[in-house]
Amino acid sequence: MASDPNQTEERHGWKWLLATPALIVLVLAASGPLMIVVLYSFLSPGNMGGVAWEFSTDAWFRVFMRRDIFDPENVTVNQAHLAVLWRSVWLSAQTTVICAVLGFPTAWFIATRPPGQRTVWLFLITIPFWTNLLIRTFAIQEMLRNNGTINTALMWMGVINEPIPMMFTDFAVLLGMAYVFMPLMVLPLYAAMDKMDFRLVEAGYDLYASRIAVLRHVILPLVKPGFIAGSILVFIPSIGAYVTPRVLGGGQKMMLGNLIALQFGQGRNWPLGAALAMVLLIITVTALVLYLRAVNRQEDKRDG
Amino acid sequence: MSEPQPTPQPEIEITGLSKVFGQGSAAFKALTDIELNIRTAEFFTLLGPSGCGKTTLLRVIAGFEQPSQGSVRINGQEVAGLGPNARPVNTVFQSYALFPHMTVAQNIGFGLKMLGRPADEVAATTADMLKLVQMEAMADRKPSEISGGQQQRVALARALAPQPRVLLLDEPLSALDLKLRKEMQTELKRLQTETGITFVFVTHDQEEALTMSDRIAVMSGGRILQLGSPSEIYNSPSERFVADFIGDTNFLKVKVVEALTETVNVRLPGGALHSARLPDGLRPAAGDDVSVVVRPEQATLGDGAKAHLTGTVTNSVFFGTDTHIHVNLEDGTPFTLRRQNAGNTAPPAPGTMVGLTLADGALQVIRE
Repeated sequence: MASDPNQTEERHGWKWLLATPALIVLVLAASGPLMIVVLYSFLSPGNMGGVAWEFSTDAWFRVFMRRDIFDPENVTVNQAHLAVLWRSVWLSAQTTVICAVLGFPTAWFIATRPPGQRTVWLFLITIPFWTNLLIRTFAIQEMLRNNGTINTALMWMGVINEPIPMMFTDFAVLLGMAYVFMPLMVLPLYAAMDKMDFRLVEAGYDLYASRIAVLRHVILPLVKPGFIAGSILVFIPSIGAYVTPRVLGGGQKMMLGNLIALQFGQGRNWPLGAALAMVLLIITVTALVLYLRAVNRQEDKRDG
Repeated sequence: MSEPQPTPQPEIEITGLSKVFGQGSAAFKALTDIELNIRTAEFFTLLGPSGCGKTTLLRVIAGFEQPSQGSVRINGQEVAGLGPNARPVNTVFQSYALFPHMTVAQNIGFGLKMLGRPADEVAATTADMLKLVQMEAMADRKPSEISGGQQQRVALARALAPQPRVLLLDEPLSALDLKLRKEMQTELKRLQTETGITFVFVTHDQEEALTMSDRIAVMSGGRILQLGSPSEIYNSPSERFVADFIGDTNFLKVKVVEALTETVNVRLPGGALHSARLPDGLRPAAGDDVSVVVRPEQATLGDGAKAHLTGTVTNSVFFGTDTHIHVNLEDGTPFTLRRQNAGNTAPPAPGTMVGLTLADGALQVIRE
């Protein structure tokens, strides 16, 4: 029995209509605020915060450049902003690498436990997620500060005479972020290993590969999708991180998230904050596009 | 069954081997007191039902499992403690375990590459292996893009490429359909003859074992029950399990009337006398009750006077080349005989009284 194409089309039309409430919510909730941010980035700052309804590209200009207060003709690169941008990208990249290096053996350990035990280990990995981020960050501060756990212990053992200053350094921020985002690396890596056929590892050993060679030629290529997913999941929240750099980095070691918050707060320059938020979005989207392209290339290689 | 003299050094020598998994009350003894010599360049089969320990034995030889007791020597060298990458053996896995991220050619060349052979040698051997298994056209495909039978060939080529002393095959044909399996059986036998490599083949398929092997070890419950050539295993099973597992068999309860050196004379149900062969190490005395086996093709329908056994036909099943005729003997024991469908003789109708004549040497005494 031949079906009537018009009827099918009509039915599809109805289905589309049913999705409209969801679409309206999506447009208002997702695109709406984004549009406001774009709009604000092209307006002038209001005196008491907020925006003045006057078109200006000054915010975008100030993201990268600065004008001397006394000599407006003297335009220089805004090194403070670029330093924050660079620190954000660099610290996030390092966080991703640390999470990958430490997350891989962790995920491997879990994936090689008997099936019944794996749930317990995964549960332990995700437990920190249930605690407030601020509390966890303060806990790290408690360990790192001059009279904190680590320095007290080292001084008591006589290893050092004076506390090592660790707070408000890139190291502190890095440690905090690696700790906070570790599960986001471990979980996709575990998922990739769980799917992996462990007989391939045996086949590698059987064909004269050493342990290192099996890791390099068999395991790493097979869990690569997990690495890519984990890296993106760690990198994106890292680059916009606010709480961790605020508590552990203090005022000096600012990241992009803190700079944006500053503009909407004490800085009272909402358009600049909005422009910086757009820059953050652009970096994030670029990372996502690179990720999707890398995954597609891998799929192509597998299929072609 | 005398060993050829002088005995050449076995390719694989296994002595006093046991393997226990787990500990305490959860311990499971997968292999018990395995004594086994595998000769150079023979096609050796480990045959048994699933869970009999045959795959564990193969994995111990490969180095994936370490023995709990006993020793394994390959070419005279003790291999205990050596990992799979330090043993001159390669495995063809049941699931093939081809590397999905490598091409067919890269899979085949992997072993040689890991051995640190120069790139041109790897390429040349890979090309030879592709030719050997007739997969030249598929060299640049990924394993996911070729059929199951082709994956099987690639797995074989990959394991043969490093020219191992011994090739271990773990039920490599079980995933293939019947027609492909028959083809691969011939193919495997050809490869083994061509390469001269010792093959240790694991299977639960008795027909596969009988057609391909030089020698078979029948395993059950972690032990080797019988070791011998396919015809020895088939014609002279020493245990009930072996007789039952391989081919169709009739079991009869008989009484020994006279014990000779190599054979015994037994009284069949119904009173007729017949000679029966003895397994190694079993010497029943006159008057003992023993079990004997008779293969269905060793019995023919004969006339009542000269028949060794008599019974009533229950039914007949047509199998194309032959017909199976099921008979109930006078004492109620079921008996099946197989008759070649040479002429157009119709099988006897159910209920017919028939006599059965047994061939000379048809009876084999078994251990219970």
